[in-house]
Order: sequence, then structure tokens, then C-alpha cells
Amino acid sequence: MVKMSLDSVQVMSGQAKELKVAPSSNGDSRGSWEEKEEFHQDNLGLTTKPTPVTGRRARKVEGGVFFPKPENAVTIAVSTRVLFRTDREQKVFQQKGVEEYLRYQIEHENEPFAPGPAFPFVKALEAVNARLRELYPQSEELFDIVLVTYNHAHVGIRLINTINHHNLFIERFCMTGGSSPIGYLKAWHTNLYLSADSEKVREALAEGIAAATMFLPEKQTEVSESQLRVAFDGDAVLFSDESERIFKAHGLDKFFEHERDNEDTLLDHGPLKGFLEALGKLQKKFYAKGQRLNCPIRTYLVTARSAASSGIRALKTLRAWGLEIDEALFLAGAPKGPMLDKIRPHIYFDDQMFHVEGAAEMGTIAAHVPYGVAQKHNAKQNTSVGK
Amino acid sequence: MARKLLMLMHEMNERLQQESAKELLQFDVVLITTDSQQQQQSSSIISSTKHHGLEISRFCFANEEDFVESLQTNNVQLFLTSDKSEASQATQKGVLSALLDHQEASPPSDQLRIMFCEDAIIQPDTGPTPANREAIQGFAAQLGEIRRRFSLADSPLCFILVTAHGSKDSCASSLLTLRSSGISVDEAYCLAGAPRDPIMPLLQPHFTIRISFSDLEE
Repeated sequence: MVKMSLDSVQVMSGQAKELKVAPSSNGDSRGSWEEKEEFHQDNLGLTTKPTPVTGRRARKVEGGVFFPKPENAVTIAVSTRVLFRTDREQKVFQQKGVEEYLRYQIEHENEPFAPGPAFPFVKALEAVNARLRELYPQSEELFDIVLVTYNHAHVGIRLINTINHHNLFIERFCMTGGSSPIGYLKAWHTNLYLSADSEKVREALAEGIAAATMFLPEKQTEVSESQLRVAFDGDAVLFSDESERIFKAHGLDKFFEHERDNEDTLLDHGPLKGFLEALGKLQKKFYAKGQRLNCPIRTYLVTARSAASSGIRALKTLRAWGLEIDEALFLAGAPKGPMLDKIRPHIYFDDQMFHVEGAAEMGTIAAHVPYGVAQKHNAKQNTSVGK
Repeated sequence: MARKLLMLMHEMNERLQQESAKELLQFDVVLITTDSQQQQQSSSIISSTKHHGLEISRFCFANEEDFVESLQTNNVQLFLTSDKSEASQATQKGVLSALLDHQEASPPSDQLRIMFCEDAIIQPDTGPTPANREAIQGFAAQLGEIRRRFSLADSPLCFILVTAHGSKDSCASSLLTLRSSGISVDEAYCLAGAPRDPIMPLLQPHFTIRISFSDLEE
């Protein structure tokens, strides 16, 4: 297993001359990956600012309440089952039907739900927003978190009570009472949709919206409260599944051959490329204010490709797209679990359930992107991970 | 457009009857026109509605100045029109009105969708007089009753709440206020300033009742 950062790749192989590593997105040149990890841990210890209760919520601008316009903000839509834990209520629904389910919800209206798998992610988004507002008080380029659920509006009061209880800054929501929420996602320029329902996620992907199914990790792990960490698999997530197709149809050797022959051809984009782009835009806003070392957004590529060979094409593609990724981890086929456990992302996107389940077992918050050729395999070996 | 509406109401009446033979709650439709030309053709209007199978219980020919009185005499609880000025005149005199919009997307023909929209920008002098709050609440209660006759899924009647500008807490209080007036909403959208136009084709209401929620509060 080779752990490399973008810096080191240039040194390694002569072929990588064209890469032209620009002033590294990692700030001053740091050597090994281990060092970076320590730096971050220090950073974590330093700034655990208790989120200020006053002034953090409805910001008043000229007497009105300030909400970003959907087209300017990075809109993240989450469903109730990923933002909160609704296991008991799900059981009532499955065993006793919708009327009993809604009655139960209304009865327990004043009992807030517990946090679900997307909760730490949403909190981290809010932490980034707080920093963005400090630096750019008038800007609408923020994360806008929207609750999009096909729950019936009878659950509305309980959801609003829960949002208030957890001090979440979610003002927009959409309860469709059973019809598909996909239209609303499109209408509000949604940049990412997270749901527990893989069917809805597939629908969203088919409409060109980045989406993933979230699963509850099997054990609780701590994630940073001050830095948003998002990790991506490469093929069929950031990039298209073209290479995976070759691998699945013709095996590893053919895969390497194909990658070598096409080293200078860019990979096609995958469903989450747009989201990485949106993150990159916000990162640049921090860099512009001299906050590169202290940036509250960090992105990771965690791929089974190997650095010396197939990984080069991935990096070249990212470069050509103008996208910076903070850390690229080429595992050359080694298991992703331990690496993810070190990174502790708030969310990790992968197209293969095998990896998602493996990550969840180790406590990583993983999300499945049901895209590409790997899904036909997934259908056979789909064991339901606890939601 | 209005014709579809009538057919829906008729269907709902039938289903209400199905649920209980002694059903007293029904949609009662009154056709009113202030157009003098149309009034001259009154008999052809009446036969035309019969021809199209539209269930209209009463016809009312009034003139522009006193049509609101006609509404009141006929105990009209909801006045539907595509004419904005007529709607605001009626509202000012205490008759709840709603505009029939001409939308490109035609609303579904198997479900009557009524949208309640919290308009934070209602001018204080165009709201209904306090005396009529009771009337509105009574209407809301009856609507809610009708909705309750049907199941939660697969209902021919659907209530939608849209709060355009307020925060989620104002949406919560709207939900509670409607609920205490007897209306349990099926779908709820809190826009918090997001534009409404992109989602109108998705919401597909047949008509929108614009109220400020202080109308319903005690």
C-alpha cells in the first residue's frame, strides 16, 4: 500500500512531468502523511469553539431574515431518516401501517429524534458556514441545508421541534406527503441529496443530481467539529465507471493496459464531480483570505488505483478539471477501512457496497452511490446494513 | 379549469355519500356571474352546465356593485374567481376568496388540491374583519371534517401549506393554527425565501387560499 500526497507524485516518476504541481493545496510543503495527521490533531485540540448560541441562527439583514438564494448556495438536501434516527417509527409504519405511524408521530411530537448518520455531516457544514459568514458577511455562497422528505406533513411539528432541539440551522423543508421529492430537488438546484432510500437516490442520479444512500455506522466514532472532511472513491464516483467496466469484463491486467494506453485521455466525469467542485469553490474563498492552513473544508480521494500507474490518470483528470483535492490516497487494492478510520471523514462516498459495508463496520460514515457497472454486482450480494 | 374543479367536487360528494348515506357535509356549488351579456344568455348558461354534467345547485345573476351581497345572501363560504379585483372586493367584505390561476401545468383530475399560502405581505386594511373570523374558522372546520372522511393515502382531497417567507418556526405555528381550526395539512413546504415559481408546477393546486394566520387565531 502506498500512501502518497500530491507533492510526492512528481518526485516519484519521470512520466509525471506534465503534472506541474501548482503551489500545493496542502499549504507549505509537508513531507509524509503522518506529519499532516499530527498537525490536524493539534488543530483539533486547539479550536473547539463552542458554537455561539446567540447570533448564529436567523441572521437579520436590513430587518429581514437572511436566507441564501438556492442558486447561489451549495444546497444539500437530506431526508429525515438520514438526519435523524427513526428506527422505532419505521417499525410502527412497517408493522401497523401509515395511519398508526402518523398517530404515533403526533403523540410523540414533543420528543425530539436522536441524531442519524448525516447529523455530524450537517453540523460540520454549519461550522463551515459560521466561518464563511465571519469572512464574507454579505455573501450567499454558503451551504444551505434543506430537509426533503416524502413524509406526511403530520410529522412536521415533530421534525421542527427536533431541528430546534438540536440547534440546527435548517429553515427550508419540503414534506411531500408521499409523492416523489425529485422535482423539488431539481427546482432548488440541489448539489447533493442524501437519503436512506436507494430508489430515491437512483432517481436523483438519473436526473443528474449528486446523491447517495447513507448507512448508520456500526459504532460511533468521533469526527472533527471544526473541519468538514469529505472523502471520495475515484471510479464511478468522481470519475465515470469506464475503467471499472474494463476491470470487471476483462480483469486487472487489461485494466492496467487500458489505463496506460489512455494515460493522457481524461476520464469522464462521475456523479459526484459537481459536488467536489462546489466544495472547491468554497475552499478557494478561505484561501483568498489567507486561511489555507486553517481551512475548515478538507477533501480526500481514497482509491484502489495505485499511485505509480493507474493513479496518474486520475490525478491528471482532476488537474485538467481545475479541481484540487487535498489528499489523494492510492491503496493499490488494499482495504480502505483502516485508512478511512484515520481520516475520520464526515462522509465517504463509494459506488461499491462492499467498501461501504467495510467502512461502516469500522465506524466510518459511508454513503453508497448506486452508479455504474458495480451495481449489477451489488444486487447479488446486497446485505442490508443497519440504517 | 373550473369545470374540472366542479367535477372533482361532484366526485367527492359521491364518495362522501358512499362513506355514509346520511352524509350532511357536501360541496354545494353556486355559479355567479356579473357579466350582463352573460346574464342575457342566462338560460343558455343553465342548459350548458346541465349539458356538461356540472352539478350546480344555484344560479345567481348580480351586478358588479352588489355581487358580494349576493354572495353573502347565499351563505357562500368560498368564492372562486379568476378576477383579482372581484376576489379582493369579496375579501374586504368578509367573504373568503381564492383565485383560480391559469396555470400551464394542469392539476391532477383525481385529487382536489387546496393550497393554503401564508402571505407575510398582507396589508392590514385588506384583511377580513374580525367578525368574519368565525366564518372562516367555520369553513376551515368543515373542510377539515370532509378531509377526515377520507383515508390518509389515496384521498380525493389534499391540503397543502406553503409558507413563503417565514422561518420554520412560523411554519410550525401555521401548522398548529390550521390544526386547531380543524385542518390537518397533508403536504408542507417552508420556502424561507426560496422562489415559489419553480415548484408551482409540482404543487399543482387547483386554487390557493391566501390568508395571514392571524385570521384563524382566537
